[in-house]
Formats: sequence, structure tokens, C-alpha cells
Amino acid sequence: MVKKKGVLYELNKNKILFLMLLPTLLYFLINNYLPMIGIYYAFVQFDFHSSNLFQMAFVGLKNFEFLWKSGKLVQLTINTIGYNIAFIVLVNVLSISVAVLLSEIRGKWFKKVTQSILFLPYFVSFVILSVIVFNLFNYEQGVLNTMLEKLGSEPINLYAMPKAWIFLIIVFYLWKNFGYSMVIYLASITGISDEYYEAAKIDGANIFQRAWHITLPMLKNTFVILLLFALGGIMKGQFDLFYQMVGNNGLLFSTTDILDTYVYRSLRVTFDMGMATAAGVYQSVFGFILIMTVNGIIRKINKDYALF
Amino acid sequence: MFGKQRKALNVVLSLVLALTLLAACSSNSNSGANTTPTPTTTANGTNAEGNQPTAASGIDTSQRVELQFYMLGNAPKDLPKVEEQINEWLIEDLNATVKFNYTTWTDWDQKYRLLLSTGQDVDLIFTAEWTQYQQYAKSGAFLPLDELLSVAAPKLYEFVPADMWEAVKIDGSIYTVPATYKEYVTGGFVWREDLRVKYDLPKPVDIPTFEAYLEGIKQNEPSIQPLALGGAVDATLEDSYMEFQRQRVGALPYGLHASYHDPANLVGYWGSDEHLADLKVYKNWADKGYFSKNELNETDSNQDKLINGTAAAMLADNPTRFNNTLNQMKSLHPEWDLAYHPFGLTNGYATPVHPIHNGFAIPKNSKKAERALAFYELMVTDERYNLLTQYGFEGVNYTVEDGYYKMVGDNSTNGFAREAMNGWAWRNPDYMLFEPSYDGVEAIFKELDKVQVPDIYTGFAEDYSSYQAERAALEQVEKQYLFPLMAGLVEDVEGGLKTFMEKANQAGLEKIQESYKQQWLQYLQENGIY
Repeated sequence: MVKKKGVLYELNKNKILFLMLLPTLLYFLINNYLPMIGIYYAFVQFDFHSSNLFQMAFVGLKNFEFLWKSGKLVQLTINTIGYNIAFIVLVNVLSISVAVLLSEIRGKWFKKVTQSILFLPYFVSFVILSVIVFNLFNYEQGVLNTMLEKLGSEPINLYAMPKAWIFLIIVFYLWKNFGYSMVIYLASITGISDEYYEAAKIDGANIFQRAWHITLPMLKNTFVILLLFALGGIMKGQFDLFYQMVGNNGLLFSTTDILDTYVYRSLRVTFDMGMATAAGVYQSVFGFILIMTVNGIIRKINKDYALF
Repeated sequence: MFGKQRKALNVVLSLVLALTLLAACSSNSNSGANTTPTPTTTANGTNAEGNQPTAASGIDTSQRVELQFYMLGNAPKDLPKVEEQINEWLIEDLNATVKFNYTTWTDWDQKYRLLLSTGQDVDLIFTAEWTQYQQYAKSGAFLPLDELLSVAAPKLYEFVPADMWEAVKIDGSIYTVPATYKEYVTGGFVWREDLRVKYDLPKPVDIPTFEAYLEGIKQNEPSIQPLALGGAVDATLEDSYMEFQRQRVGALPYGLHASYHDPANLVGYWGSDEHLADLKVYKNWADKGYFSKNELNETDSNQDKLINGTAAAMLADNPTRFNNTLNQMKSLHPEWDLAYHPFGLTNGYATPVHPIHNGFAIPKNSKKAERALAFYELMVTDERYNLLTQYGFEGVNYTVEDGYYKMVGDNSTNGFAREAMNGWAWRNPDYMLFEPSYDGVEAIFKELDKVQVPDIYTGFAEDYSSYQAERAALEQVEKQYLFPLMAGLVEDVEGGLKTFMEKANQAGLEKIQESYKQQWLQYLQENGIY
């Protein structure tokens, strides 16, 4: 063990390095830490007469009231977390398996084309997605119902079937997003040294054994880090996706309403700074607790994989 | 070997981080561009040497200032040219320049709120009852103009009739400069006249004839949706239906109802027998296929659906917008025709637009209030300023033929269409130019003039601070349980209404209604309406 020296000594010793770090630190301080003062808005009654935040009347938790007044907070939290867990698990499973498959394909041209086709939906805007979905499923002229009618069966009104949307939202999320993380996994597979595979081949391992015993374990690092990133945003949901696909259709809210859409709708009529901040604080605190817990668990299991 | 893998991982990670950073940047710049314009205050410094302004009003113009002007909607393409010309005149007149800012229509309500509440540099901002002028004025977001008007804008003060100044007062003070152009924004049936004639259907003048028309379209034109509603069924269906059938005094919120003829009798409409009966009417329309089963997810505007021929009627639209729809339809399908029947003619009364409907206010923290007001006076009363900001450059953007406005080129080639700056609030009837098709609107207005009565609803300023949380919660319940009912998506209407009422009461409906009623009665009493 090296003897502990003071902070000043450390600063002096690596002053060039710290100087190089300074812009980044400032960036985070100004853009991410200073705005946190605004959290105080969640606890005051906003009014135009006070010239600054700290003169406004302190109201305690009153701004948080609207979150549970309609009795939906629990359901919203469950929906938000449920969807996100489904997204994270399915996106990772799907993208890892496709990445492994693609990495085994040697045909360069085919590989590139497949990769691009899978990646492209990532650039489709959610607004366009909503139009596509509406044209597929609307009752009178939708593609699905036109097909059903041609086949002689009854048309179905998907926009009145809340349960179906759990499936649809997840499917469209995957369609749009899995190409992105697949590329990341593919890049990290490319980084695995060929020596392992050659050695395994000589030992007689077949293609499945190689994937299972070499590729997958090597991807663990990337997986853990992507997982932690994703968990940090678990309470944020995917506002655009839900809002665009479901819109104003109240019939579907029981299964498709997440915190973000709920807050958005509430505050469209009463855009109150206090209430808007309160909703944000609730999401952030919840997300913070979640990521600390998961990171803690990972630290316990394997210190190297933890984010911090 | 392990080091090598570690390295690859690092590369991947930095890639991810860089991408997220980029994503964050782009989204920032998106929202940032709209909400936070770069502060270009020229208040100190660039004072023109000895360039004494020629303004007649008694305000101090020794310092050059830049005024920040905010309007909702999209800026016209030629705005920079117009701004340049205005500034040229303005430096001479008031030793000031102006920056015209536009919010775009995306999330304008949030942006509006942020502009007012974050202490941004705003000197003039649009107000209307639909931007919650009354509530903002009541909560102190705007500067009282009573004294300032006679000092900074005496001409404007004269120009606007006294009763209009009186009508925009909130708690005894003037907070906005109302527009003086008189119009009607009341509803009326809109339908395809060519189809009506073709199939010999009755002219819609009330609900039974309207239903007969819809039925006729359904029978004869199976590919056209008889009625366009869109996702906002609360406005397009309930509010319109209430306006016509139950003669509601205004678009009262929270399921309250009072008829125009008996405004003090404010009762709960939601959950009542009347409500149930009306919901059954909507359900009946839905079952007969007058509107789509997926109306709530519809994103095309109702007007667009009429124009491109996918729908054949609207329950209600105002005369001016009807005329726009008609014009656009005619330009695409000259052989089609659209007709209009104002509710007022059937019901025997119509309310001209309330002065609050279009106005401009000065936010409380503006530091250039005097100059801003003096500039606004020029916009309204000076012909040069007014014509330029309403119609663009004469000869380039428009010409005047036989006293009518004529656009140069068309919507896509012309950088400044008629009223492209959304200058509804600074319209001056003395200078206004109309297209020939406006004659139709004017004819409607003339008819409505015969049955006009004052608007007694819009002057009311609701104070919802005591039931804010309940209000937000109620909004949710309404969307989740009432909207599907209105759109005819709930098979058991009675049961659905019961569920809705249960949830609404849980959210605090009674508390809201009680408090609203109290304020409403007080307002009626104070204004001598009760």
C-alpha cells in the first residue's frame, strides 16, 4: 500500500492531467449539477409576483398530490418499469443473438446489407411510426382489416383492445431499436481476438460451442454496461413511442399509460412549474434508487463490471 | 490478450457515449432554438449619435432599445425583409428596433408558459382566452396598462372604444390591447353542398336535418366518412353539440352547464340525464358509421379531410375558417362545393367575438414597456406599419385590385401570404384588405348582426390555484373514461358513464365544481349580469 498523501499533493503531482479534465468537469457542473437547484420548484407555489424562486411560498408536498390524486400512480409506475424491463431484456437477447449470427457470416456483402437494413428503422421518427401504425390497424381502411375482409373474416378493432398494445408497443420498439444495440455488440465481437477461435477450432469445438464458450462470455462486459445505462433511464420510459402510438385514445390507457405520458397530459392543461418539477423529481429519485441498487448488486458479484 | 479486449470495449464505450452526447446536443438545440433566443440586447452602447427620434408621445427615447415581440405560430418566409423595413422606420420614429419571434405551433402552450415564467426578455406577447389571458392577468404575469396607455400610446387609447377597454379589464385593470375588428367565431354546420344537392338531402339547420344529411351520405357515398371529428372530441363533439343543442353560455369546463338565457343557473351536466341522452346520440352516430371507430387516433385535421374529400361534414366551425376551407377546396376541386349554416340563425342569437379573443400584452418584467406600447400603437394605427405586417410588400407579396386583396403567385411561391404574421390582434378595420371570397363571410356576419347579443362568458377569469391538483387529475379521468364514451367506443353507455362519474368524483370533481360555481356567480353579480 502506498502511503496516503493529501489532495493538494495529488493535484500538484498531476496538474496537467487535472487541467485537461477541467473543461469536462465544468461542462457537467454547469449543465447537469447547477440546474438541480431547480428541484426546489417542486416544493413551492409558483407565482409571478416573486422575483426569484426562494421568495415563493413553500408548500411541502402539495405539488406531488396530482400524481396520486387519480389513484393511478402505482399502475403508472408498474407500467413504466414493466415496459422498460421488457425492452431491455428483449432488445439485448435479440441483438446479442443476431450479432453472434452475423459475426459468423463470412459473406461481406450480405453482412453489410443485413446490418444496414436492421439499423435503418432506428432513424424513423416516431411521428412517422404512428402514421404507419395507424394505416396498418385502423378499423375502416387499415391494411390488416382490408386483408381480413378479403380473406372473409370479421374485421377487428385493435384500437379498442388494450391488451394487444402491450405486444404491439414492444414489437415496434424492438423493430426500431434493436439494430442500434446490435451494432454495438457486433463491434465488440469484432474486438475479440481470433486466436481464441483458432485455438478452440484446433481443440475440436463446433460453431455453437465457440459462440457459447467464447463469444458470449466476452460480451458480458458490454452487456453489463449497456444494462446499467438502460436502467438509469428506466423511469423515463419512451415518451415519443407511447404518445405517438396511443395518443388520445383513453381506451388503451390502462395498459399503455406510462409516467411520462400521464404527466404530459396533466400538465398540458395546467402547466404549473411546481407540478411539472414534482413529476420530474419523482422520476429522478426513483431512477436514482434503482441504478444505485443494481450497481450495488453488480459490485457485490464482480467489482470490475460495476459502473462506479 | 485481456488488455486487447479491454481496449475494444473502451472504444465501443466511447462510441456509445459520444452518440448519446450527440443525441443530447441535438435535442437541446431543438428545444433551445424555440424557447431561448439569443439575448441581443442593444440597450446600451449603439446609441445613434444625435439621431433624435420624431415620436410625438411623451416618452423617453434617448436610448436605443431592441424590443422582443412574441407571437404564436410559424413565421412567414419573408419575415426578415419585413423586419428590416420595420426597423428602418422604427429607428426614426422611436429610436428602437424590434425582433419578431415565433413559437411555432408545436407545444406552443408550454413555450408560452415558459416565456412568461422564466423571466425572459419579452416586451410584447399575444393574448387570447385560449392562451388563458384571464388567468395569467389575474396571477400577475402582465403589466397593468391603465396609466401607461395615455402616456405612451394616446392614439391607440383613443382608437380602441371605451367599452372594449372595459371588457378586457381583469380585477379592474387593463392588461391587454384588444383588437377592434368585429367578427363572429361562433359555430355552424359545414357540409358538402354538391353532394347534398346530388342526393336531394335536407339542408342541415338542426340536429334532425343534420342527421338526415349524414344518413344520406352514408347510404349514397359509402367510401366517404359522413362526419369528421378528429381526436379532440371534447371540443369538436361535446362543446359544439352543447353550443347548438343546449345553448351553453360558453365552453364551460369540468362538465358544468348553464344556458345563455339563464347563466346563473349553473348545474353539473356530467352524469345528468341530459348527459346520458347526449352520449346516446353520439353512440348512435358511431353505430351508424357516421364517424370512424378510430376517431380518437385520427391525426388529420377535420378541415383537411373535407378538402381532400374523405369526409363530408363538420358539426361546427366558425365562418372565417369555413371560408378558408371552402377556398382551399375550390382550388383543388373546383367542381365541389361547401355550404354553411350558422347556429345563431336557428337559435336566434349570436355573440360577436369578445375583445379578449385577440390582444397583445406586456409581460410584468419587461424593461422597455413604454417603447413597446408606443411601437404597438404604430403597428395598429400607422398605415405603413399595419399594411406591411399584415400583407407584406405591395407589388411583391400582394396587389390591390378593385379594393380587394390579391396574392402574387400562390401559397408556395409567396413568402408572405395574407395575415402571414398571424396579425389577428393588430388588425385595423380601416386598413383591412379582403379577398373577394370574404364577401360570403361578410354576408354571414351581416345576418348574425341581426341577432347579436353580448358574450357574457369570456370576461370571466377563473382562479384555479386552490384546486390545481384536482384539475390535473380530472383531466386524466376525462381522457381515459369520457373520451371513449363520446367517441361511441363503449358498448354500455350507462355503465360507462357511471364508471366515469365514479372516477371523476374520486379525482375531486365536486370540489372543483363548487369552487368554480362560487367564482362564476360572483363574476355575474359584479358585472351586473345576474
